Amino acid sequence: MNHEGEQPENRLRRAQGEQPESSLRGTQDEEPESGLRREQDELPENRLRKELPAEVPAQGPGFAQSVEDKSAPELTGRQRLAEGLWPPRFTRAQLVVALLLFGLGFGLAVQVASNSDSDSALRGARQEDLVRILDELDDRTQRLEDEKQGLDKQRQELENSSNQAEEARKQTAEKEKQLGILAGTVAAQGPGITMTIEDTKGAVQADMLLDAIQELRAAGAEAVQVNGVRVVASTYLTDSGKSVDVDGNKINAPYRFKVIGKPQDLEPALNIPGGVVQTLEKEQATVTVERSDKIVVDALRAAKQPDYARSSSQ
Amino acid sequence: MIAVLGLIVGVVAGLLVRPEVPAVVEPYLPIAVVAALDAVFGGLRAMLDGIFDDKVFVVSFLSNVVVAALIVFLGDKLGVGAQLSTGVVVVLGIRIFSNAAAIRRHVFRA
Repeated sequence: MNHEGEQPENRLRRAQGEQPESSLRGTQDEEPESGLRREQDELPENRLRKELPAEVPAQGPGFAQSVEDKSAPELTGRQRLAEGLWPPRFTRAQLVVALLLFGLGFGLAVQVASNSDSDSALRGARQEDLVRILDELDDRTQRLEDEKQGLDKQRQELENSSNQAEEARKQTAEKEKQLGILAGTVAAQGPGITMTIEDTKGAVQADMLLDAIQELRAAGAEAVQVNGVRVVASTYLTDSGKSVDVDGNKINAPYRFKVIGKPQDLEPALNIPGGVVQTLEKEQATVTVERSDKIVVDALRAAKQPDYARSSSQ
Repeated sequence: MIAVLGLIVGVVAGLLVRPEVPAVVEPYLPIAVVAALDAVFGGLRAMLDGIFDDKVFVVSFLSNVVVAALIVFLGDKLGVGAQLSTGVVVVLGIRIFSNAAAIRRHVFRA
């Protein structure tokens, strides 16, 4: 079709002004030459002629045509808007769009309302956010738990220390009692013996009584009183005529010793051969030793505050 | 006009009724709303261009909503729900802005 339609043109051209070229090309084959010619011909003329009218409408809807539409007086966007807005027309399109917009507005309002609800701030949260919040809460719980444990520990320590203080106070009181028994400031009771020395001739002297006391102490006597006088570390005995002074208190026969200690130890200690009992009996004094389960040593001695000696422990 | 009335009535109804959003729909509602907004802006632009077609609008509106919800749903299932919904919002936001620019050119000629 084209071949036949264009060949007269080509031949015409060749005939008109392009002889030298055709003579150059003449060495080549006829067919490709004509094909080349046709392309060359089409490039400047035919394409322009054919494609320009085709391309203009292709660009039209984008720019050119809309410009034309705007320039047309009745079809401006603004006018279309006003037209669509004011006279309310119950067309199908309007109703359908209204329905959809109703849905949009509804969803929008619902979402905004549920989002601004402070009560259900977590309701709209995403799963990841919820997990994160949960993690944070877990962390916080953990921290608070740790803090609680620390405080518990502290409390326990304080309780322990107060318990220890209580214990120390108890021990101190206990010690005070023990020391009081030793110092003779408190009464004491317990198993022990009673030794009575009858001395009708006044032959018993202070050193014999002192020997008896030493012997009792060596046998483990813990509290001793003689005729109502407590015997302590600083007790001294002196002769005073036919009687004896104990710590400045005059005591007369019969000398009655109340001794708290282990009776099984105390009695044999007094009765050993050449011991206290035999020595006293040599002086014609009568000695009776009785064991007893309950001896009460109730003679007291006033506690004396030392003038110079101070405790060196705290 | 009817369409604008529909929007206003919808907002008022949503504010007045305050329905409890079902937990299943809850994550998809905001994305669906944004997608619908995109469709609405697109429709407005088309109307100003004079090529508005109600059928196209309905289809684009519904498909926008469904696709947006679907993407979020898929993201939730894949464990990238937050990122995907952010992406969807960004894309829709860009579209809304470009549509709004076209509308602005029509309405204000600037």
